[in-house]
Amino acid sequence: MTHPVVRVSELEKRFPVQKSVFRKATDFVHALDGISFDIPPGGSLGLVGESGCGKTTTGRILLKLLESTGGQVLIEKDGEPVDITAITAKDDLKDFRSRAQMIFQDPFESMNPRRTIYDTISEPLTVQNIGSVAEREVRVAELLQLVGLTPPESFIFRYPHELSGGQRQRVAIARALVVDPTFVVADEPTSMLDVSIRISIMDLMLKLGQDLNVSYLYITHDLAVARYMCDRIAVMYLGKIVELAPTEELLANPRHPYTKALISAVPVPDPTIERPPVEIKGGISRSINPQARCRFYDRCPFAREDPCNTNDHPPLDQVGEDHWAACYLVEEIASGAAVADTGDDRSPEPANSRDRSRT
Amino acid sequence: MTTDLGAIRSGADVPVGSPLLEVENLIMRYQVKQGEVSAVEDVNFTLHKGEALGLVGESGCGKSSIALSLLRLQAENGEIVNGEVRLAGTNLVELSEEEMRRHRWNEMSMVFQGAMNTWNPVHRISDQIKEALDIHWPEQLSKADVRYRIAELFQTVGLNPDMMDRYPHEFSGGMRQRAVIAMALSCNPQIIIADEPTTALDVIVQDLILKELKRIQEELGMSIIYISHDLAVIAEVTDSMAVMYAGKIVEYGTTKTIFGGMRHPYAWLLLSSTPSITGPRRKLAPLEGEPPNLLDPPSGCRFNPRCPFATDRCHEEEPPLEDIGDGHLVACWNWEKVPVGVQAGDVL
Repeated sequence: MTHPVVRVSELEKRFPVQKSVFRKATDFVHALDGISFDIPPGGSLGLVGESGCGKTTTGRILLKLLESTGGQVLIEKDGEPVDITAITAKDDLKDFRSRAQMIFQDPFESMNPRRTIYDTISEPLTVQNIGSVAEREVRVAELLQLVGLTPPESFIFRYPHELSGGQRQRVAIARALVVDPTFVVADEPTSMLDVSIRISIMDLMLKLGQDLNVSYLYITHDLAVARYMCDRIAVMYLGKIVELAPTEELLANPRHPYTKALISAVPVPDPTIERPPVEIKGGISRSINPQARCRFYDRCPFAREDPCNTNDHPPLDQVGEDHWAACYLVEEIASGAAVADTGDDRSPEPANSRDRSRT
Repeated sequence: MTTDLGAIRSGADVPVGSPLLEVENLIMRYQVKQGEVSAVEDVNFTLHKGEALGLVGESGCGKSSIALSLLRLQAENGEIVNGEVRLAGTNLVELSEEEMRRHRWNEMSMVFQGAMNTWNPVHRISDQIKEALDIHWPEQLSKADVRYRIAELFQTVGLNPDMMDRYPHEFSGGMRQRAVIAMALSCNPQIIIADEPTTALDVIVQDLILKELKRIQEELGMSIIYISHDLAVIAEVTDSMAVMYAGKIVEYGTTKTIFGGMRHPYAWLLLSSTPSITGPRRKLAPLEGEPPNLLDPPSGCRFNPRCPFATDRCHEEEPPLEDIGDGHLVACWNWEKVPVGVQAGDVL
């Protein structure tokens, strides 16, 4: 039996809200509150949600750029799962980084402007102590070829400012892949690029993922991009995964009201199509010491006192084949028994303006 | 409170559906150390009263430069070399700076790109909107009138008037953007130019803001120029649209006609490379190459180095923007080769 490359269980991250330097924090932002998922070898999982939902935090914890405050992250090493949250020794960390890498969002910020492309791409090799200088040069040239920066000799000793955004993102991909990782976290790698450049970068990542058998965690706010890149999608809301399913199943048959709202809010490039109304109420819930109730309670058009407010956040239950949703009312919404109340459809998103009087 | 602004409000008399803003042969160039950048090259379009017009294209295609030229707010090294911008008959290009200043905000205002992040954090939102009224409202307003006006504006954009004395950090991103729109509406303009009004916002908030703008457009008979890189946004909110590439309009017409069948290869490829969550999952076609350097644009058609349909003629002669029927304008020698109803991913 093959192990998943990544297995996350009950991952939790709380950030203290420091009121004073001298006082111990009593309030915590619950950035991640018990999330679990698997990524199989060569698979890609899209993490989708609005800003502040915890998707970037997840990505950073998976690469140990941030420490978690609870839960487990198992990442495969030579066929065996290793809990990376337990890694403390420097050598073990270094070894881990030869298996897991990251592609950052902004190709303009994520590269040292004083270092050549060769320096940038070969740095992981230097850190990992792989190969001689001559071998590294060959390897870097090989990767430039792989990411389509050809001929490599005309790029290898140039500086980031001499390259366009798309070319820089290719360099970022080369840097992530130079150590032959089995797992890559890509945090909005194409959101800074123009539409026409974006597709070639996405195609490149898909092709390399397949050829090199890399598993991706793909973080994005854009469902259309996630659809193009990922086998499965996890929708996050305020530190919780609210729905998880294979991509096409999730888009065709969303079960959680938040996923439905998210899907119906995406503009469609066809003026003849009328989108369904976005059924969501204004008022984002707090992620500081959240109340024990469904996190989506404030905005959910279907929410009821019982069970949504009286119970803790619903568990992520199986609702179909490999389809999971965290909502008490899944069955009722599906059968049409639950009634949507979107209130004033002009109510803006923040909670503190809901008492607004209108004339 | 009086709102009779006499001569400045010439656009107010234009009936809905008639031409309000006519841009003719507009050329705007930036002087830089290395030479001259032709940012806006011979652009023509008409905005009707009550209409929403979209300018769509990628970074550097000149869409923001057009917006700034209309208000004559282009950077110091930018110069309108040629052309007319006629607002209800008045050519704005010929006005003195002082006359132009009176037209700004009273007749045409702008929601700048990223404006929601430019609120001054140490001043109340109401004070910052008051500043716009102080500068642009043609007569002195009393303190009570100003507050009344701001409350009215807050209601128009769906904000609670009780919140007007709060500071920017107390507003969420979507609320700050609503307040920016309120400020743009402050002097009752005829035209709003919205430069990427929802780009930094989450989809659900984007949906709310776009609906709000649509409602304002319909209820107040406002004309809006939307500037965006996102074809999907343009498809949803505009009545007519222009696709821009390298400083030129390459395709122009009603939004329905253009989405019914894009005939310029660039527009067609741009749509083909836009991922969508509807329809079957399909292969997207990448646009090869990079946009041209506008210091030295390619000869002939500016799109020829990246165009899959380019012929010898495209390298030599620049195609004019021509009507191919029903007011659908295309600037391409080979527009007939662009397949209709098929996306590039299926054929290329």
